[in-house]
Amino acid sequence: MTKEISLEHVWVEFGEFTAVHKANLNIAGGEFFSFLGPSGCGKTTLLRCISGFQEPTRGKVKIGGEDMRGVGPNKRPTALIFQNLALFPLRSIADNIAFPLEVRGVSKKNRRKRADELLELIALPGQGDKKVSELSGGQKQRVAIARALAVEPDILLLDEPLSALDLKLRQHMRTELRAIQKQVGLTFIYITHDQGEALTMSDRIAVMNKGKIEQIGDGKAIYDHPTTSFVASFVGENNVLDGTVLSNDGKVMQIDAGLGTPFAVENHPAGGPALAPGDACHLFVRPEALRLSKDESAINQFSTNFVTEEFEGNMRHIVMNASGKDLKLSLINDGTNAIEANAPVKLDFAPGMGIALKPGELASA
Amino acid sequence: MRDLFYDLVRRNGMAVSIYLMLAVSLWVFILIILPQLTMLDYSFRFNLPPAKIGGPEDVYTLEQYRYFFQGSGASDGLNTLDIGILFKTLLAAVFVTIFDLIICYPVAFVLAKSSTGAKARLLVLALIVPYWINEILRAFAFRILFGATGVINETGMGLGLWDTPIDFIRQDVALYAGLAYAYILLMIFPLYNAIESLDRNQIEAARDMGANWWQVHAKVVIPYAKPGIASGMTMVFMLTSGALAAPQILGGPSNLWFTQLVYQWFNSGGNWPRGSAYAMVLLIVCIALVLLVMRLFKVSIGEIKQ
Amino acid sequence: MKMKSPTALIPGLYLTLFFAYLFGPLIIMVITAFNSSTFPRVSPWECFTTDWFGKLAADDKLLAGLGNSLLIGVGVVCVAIPIGLAAAITLSQVGPKLRAALYTIFIAPILVPGVVIGLSTLIFWDRIGTLFNAPYESFFYDGTFLTIFGQVTFIAAYSMLVFLSRIQRFDTTLTEAALDMGATPTQAFVKVLLPFMAPAIGSATVLAFLASLENYNTTVFTIVSSSTFTTVLSSKVRYGLDPSISAVAVIIIAITLIGAIIYECRNRYNTKSWALVVAERPALKVATHPGTVAVILGVLALAAVMFIQNHDSNACTAQILEDKRALQQKLMEQQSLNTPQQNVPAPTMPNLGPVGGNEGGASAPSPFGNNIFSPENLGTNTPNDQ
Ligand SMILES: Nc1ncnc2c1ncn2[C@@H]1O[C@H](COP(=O)(O)OP(=O)(O)OP(=O)(O)O)[C@@H](O)[C@H]1O
Ligand SMILES: [Mg+2]
Repeated sequence: MTKEISLEHVWVEFGEFTAVHKANLNIAGGEFFSFLGPSGCGKTTLLRCISGFQEPTRGKVKIGGEDMRGVGPNKRPTALIFQNLALFPLRSIADNIAFPLEVRGVSKKNRRKRADELLELIALPGQGDKKVSELSGGQKQRVAIARALAVEPDILLLDEPLSALDLKLRQHMRTELRAIQKQVGLTFIYITHDQGEALTMSDRIAVMNKGKIEQIGDGKAIYDHPTTSFVASFVGENNVLDGTVLSNDGKVMQIDAGLGTPFAVENHPAGGPALAPGDACHLFVRPEALRLSKDESAINQFSTNFVTEEFEGNMRHIVMNASGKDLKLSLINDGTNAIEANAPVKLDFAPGMGIALKPGELASA
Repeated sequence: MRDLFYDLVRRNGMAVSIYLMLAVSLWVFILIILPQLTMLDYSFRFNLPPAKIGGPEDVYTLEQYRYFFQGSGASDGLNTLDIGILFKTLLAAVFVTIFDLIICYPVAFVLAKSSTGAKARLLVLALIVPYWINEILRAFAFRILFGATGVINETGMGLGLWDTPIDFIRQDVALYAGLAYAYILLMIFPLYNAIESLDRNQIEAARDMGANWWQVHAKVVIPYAKPGIASGMTMVFMLTSGALAAPQILGGPSNLWFTQLVYQWFNSGGNWPRGSAYAMVLLIVCIALVLLVMRLFKVSIGEIKQ
Repeated sequence: MKMKSPTALIPGLYLTLFFAYLFGPLIIMVITAFNSSTFPRVSPWECFTTDWFGKLAADDKLLAGLGNSLLIGVGVVCVAIPIGLAAAITLSQVGPKLRAALYTIFIAPILVPGVVIGLSTLIFWDRIGTLFNAPYESFFYDGTFLTIFGQVTFIAAYSMLVFLSRIQRFDTTLTEAALDMGATPTQAFVKVLLPFMAPAIGSATVLAFLASLENYNTTVFTIVSSSTFTTVLSSKVRYGLDPSISAVAVIIIAITLIGAIIYECRNRYNTKSWALVVAERPALKVATHPGTVAVILGVLALAAVMFIQNHDSNACTAQILEDKRALQQKLMEQQSLNTPQQNVPAPTMPNLGPVGGNEGGASAPSPFGNNIFSPENLGTNTPNDQ
């Protein structure tokens, strides 16, 4: 069974400090939903509001249409997987997994049976008698998931569960988590500050900054059509240029970014608020959207000088300088794109690949 | 108070919260605060036979405190004997505290910074073991050690350092040595804890910048360990000035410790109000002294740990 | 090979001196327990004897005191541990302001002189007893109860410190995890926090029991007409130094050492490196198991007790006595022969020890006199006080 969740104007304040700023959100049942944002932006706080450890200062948290105010964490249909996992170190693996059943008064025999089933599910069969300290990081991870699943919650909340793992294991666990979610069909609410994780696993993502939800959308929308400067600069690599809108005919804008001829940039219906002539703006162009000009008459063309190159095998990450501004450029290593170190090089980008947004806070690198 | 209780209930549930509140209030009120208040109240009363307690003669008075300051005479003369004992006790306690600090600091430092693993554990155990032995027996050991035919006198005379036995008991040497011995542990552990958390790199950095060994201690280690030093000194001072067993066993016959006065008023003197007044004097003077020193060294009582 | 510079030896030398200060007095006390001299001393050495232990076993007052002490110790543990635990948990849950205030109150009983605590406890319950018109036999006037109350006042603070240092390492998300999984707050307390505190409860219990057993300053007031091991011991020391007190020390030191050795063995046994060493050597594993060590030490202690019971030093002590008598005879003869001319230095005589079988210090030339606090003794000089 799954339940939808909605946050209505949720504020959380700690004294003077506002940790969550008017969060509005609907999460459908069975969805894999991620919160993405830099450290300290209020992700954990929001999750604690949903699980019941934190009452919002204002606003409502609804689960399955019911207002959850005053309902304790032990009475909510949620299960939280803590940032540090919070496995009970003095209990065996099986006793950890069976803990939720134990406190509900399930008999010892049935507890053991259910624990064994869950150990099967997380691919640790027969290891129930081990101590927590005898498990590897990834195994602990899976035990924490099994424990959370033991009472068949409607919603599973995961707080950066993979952050302590090494890269290899993290990638493996991503697929595994996603598989478990498909298998049990629960609503997953997932917190991470690793965007790769959010983009690969989620149905939808909310990007947060300083307690505010900046944008909600699926991975493609967030990457291709960010609606704020913060999202554009936080998700993926991006080049940013300060510019001024010269004209906007509703379809294409002309923007002066101080690199010679003005650039043509398309408006997009899913993009940020429209800009009017005379507005200052941030112009974002992703490294993979920049390309070496094939002919002299290409649109949005400008002249650059080579600075440095980082070679990554299949990709080449090059830094070029245009009128004092460093720009990153990513090229596929197919042997065709030679760059001569000392000669000026012309770059261009398609009008559909530029993103012009109201100037706003940028994510720090 | 009600908010506190609600908060506890929310965290621990009703049964546990009642246990917490009950246990803590029992301790704080029935065992700590009320007895002290009763004693304070008692110290302002006359020493009456049980039959007269509550009667018309049972009124408040400063008589017991007056006695401490002026003695039995109705004249304005000072009670130099008792006041002198108080001063001597405090002075001796200060001396013992400083002596303990001086001998314990190097041990705590070596323990915290140069020993590791099994060796450190053994040293700590060796420090603790003597303190599992009864306080009376420890004092007794010093009595034997410093007696006229004790090891110290025998060795001293054997080496020809002196030729008649020195009366270490009457000179209070045995008492100071025994008191210093009794509270070594209470000095070492706060020092050890404080020094242990000091990053080795800080010492090395100071060395690197050309500080010699005593500058390292004076400028880096001691300022860092100040809370530990303060709590160790507080503990040793309070316990030394409040000691009873060691002065009774090791003290010279004509040289009383202030606690012994309290004891005498209580037992042989049979004058509880006066005993209470003397105890209050001791308590207040000690606390005032500790607070004063803490203020001077800018540490707070919250930093006192064991 | 590098030569150690002389300054590198200083810490070691200092530690040696320090531990000599720590253990020296105890070692000397232990030695005196086996000297037949009726005054506890190392030299002159008379005979090796175990009689002082026998004297202890016959000391009814001490045994009665020990019984009371054990009873009080158990009582103190039962009250102080729950209080200390509650105090530590409360401190860990309240806000920083209240925490600082509470901490000051909780820590105060450690700093307040034991004399003051004993006194105030006695007065307080006396008052309460008077208030209720309680008969004199009621617990308001009972030494055992009063002593338990008095000792709990500060021993609860000791145990609180033990609990506090453990609870600081408690991961509060564990409690949250338990709540999240449907546990009631009480269940979370019983199933998560309490098991975590269990080792601290163990060590606090030992600490509280030992502190109760050895307390003097508070107990001497609250015990009223009853007695404990420590108060009996103290009056023994004050009213006559005698080596049977050293014998008590030997027993306590032996028990302490056995405890320390077993504790250390258990620590070593539980280390990972030792687990690797014994993994393939079951014999060694059994031999170094703390249980085995405990059994061996127990057998040794038993053997020591048997030895003490059977050792007979009568022949030697009789000989010494004979020698003394002979010497004294000779001195007296000399004295009577050439009376005023030959001066026998007076102080040498007392140092020979007692003549005849009288025990205790009464006629023995103890240094500085016994019973220094009985008023009659104030100012009276014993032969050695010059
Ligand atoms: N109980 C509290 N009291 C005061 N401030 C708090 C409290 N809990 C969190 N905060 C503050 O709220 C902000 C958001 O914290 P939160 O834990 O939600 O961040 P986060 O997004 O989860 O960060 P991370 O990625 O590092 O886990 C932080 O600045 C934090 O200091
Ligand atoms: Mg977080």
